[in-house]
Amino acid sequence: MAAVSQSFKTDLLASIPSLRAFAVSLTQNADKADDLVQETLVKAWDKHESFEPGTNLKAWLFTILRNEFYSQMRKRGREVQDSDGIMTARLAVHPAQHGQLDLKDFRSALEQLPEDQREAIILIGASGFSYEEAAEICGCAVGTIKSRVSRARTRLQEILKISGDDEFGPDAISAQVTGSNAA
Amino acid sequence: MRKDNTAGAATNRRRAASGDPLGPNSEIGRKLKQYYDELVSDAVPDRFAQLLSQLEQAQPARKKD
Repeated sequence: MAAVSQSFKTDLLASIPSLRAFAVSLTQNADKADDLVQETLVKAWDKHESFEPGTNLKAWLFTILRNEFYSQMRKRGREVQDSDGIMTARLAVHPAQHGQLDLKDFRSALEQLPEDQREAIILIGASGFSYEEAAEICGCAVGTIKSRVSRARTRLQEILKISGDDEFGPDAISAQVTGSNAA
Repeated sequence: MRKDNTAGAATNRRRAASGDPLGPNSEIGRKLKQYYDELVSDAVPDRFAQLLSQLEQAQPARKKD
């Protein structure tokens, strides 16, 4: 086996914060996320020769992490779904006051999404991947990613009871309107 | 990483310009980034640097599958 280059190791280290963020987004559990990152690093190290230098290392690592997550889920018979946190997620989210959406409410809304929709909206809306890269990471068609992102967004809007339109921030009138609905 | 950032910035510009549903003018888009940025900025536990050092030390003995 060819030696692992120093730059590969440095790049792996630099990727850890992103990997952890993606892992938490998938597992919704900090401990499981760190175990997942650990598995990912070991796998990446073992198969470093299959990484083509010059291509997107982050996308390569996200693919490994995602595959590991789903294979663990299959092994555990979706025990992940029943773990702690799910009850909090089911609690109703109240419309935020003054149009300010609480991050805690957002987190629990995100938890209620199916995994495929959650990972799609995270990859596109937060991790900075293109639709093409996200499709490659998830092993599906670009159109599939687009429809998952769109469904995720609609679902989040429903859960959080916010307007489906792109707004430049709530103004006095819309605040009054939503205020009269919030009972 | 540099490549990533450039691509990400370009994507953000495109989104801002075209009123992308997850762009900076969307509340969902803003919250997603806030949620994720908080996770990314979380301090990395030592165990990962230790793990990579261990892997490095074990490297000569490792065989390719």
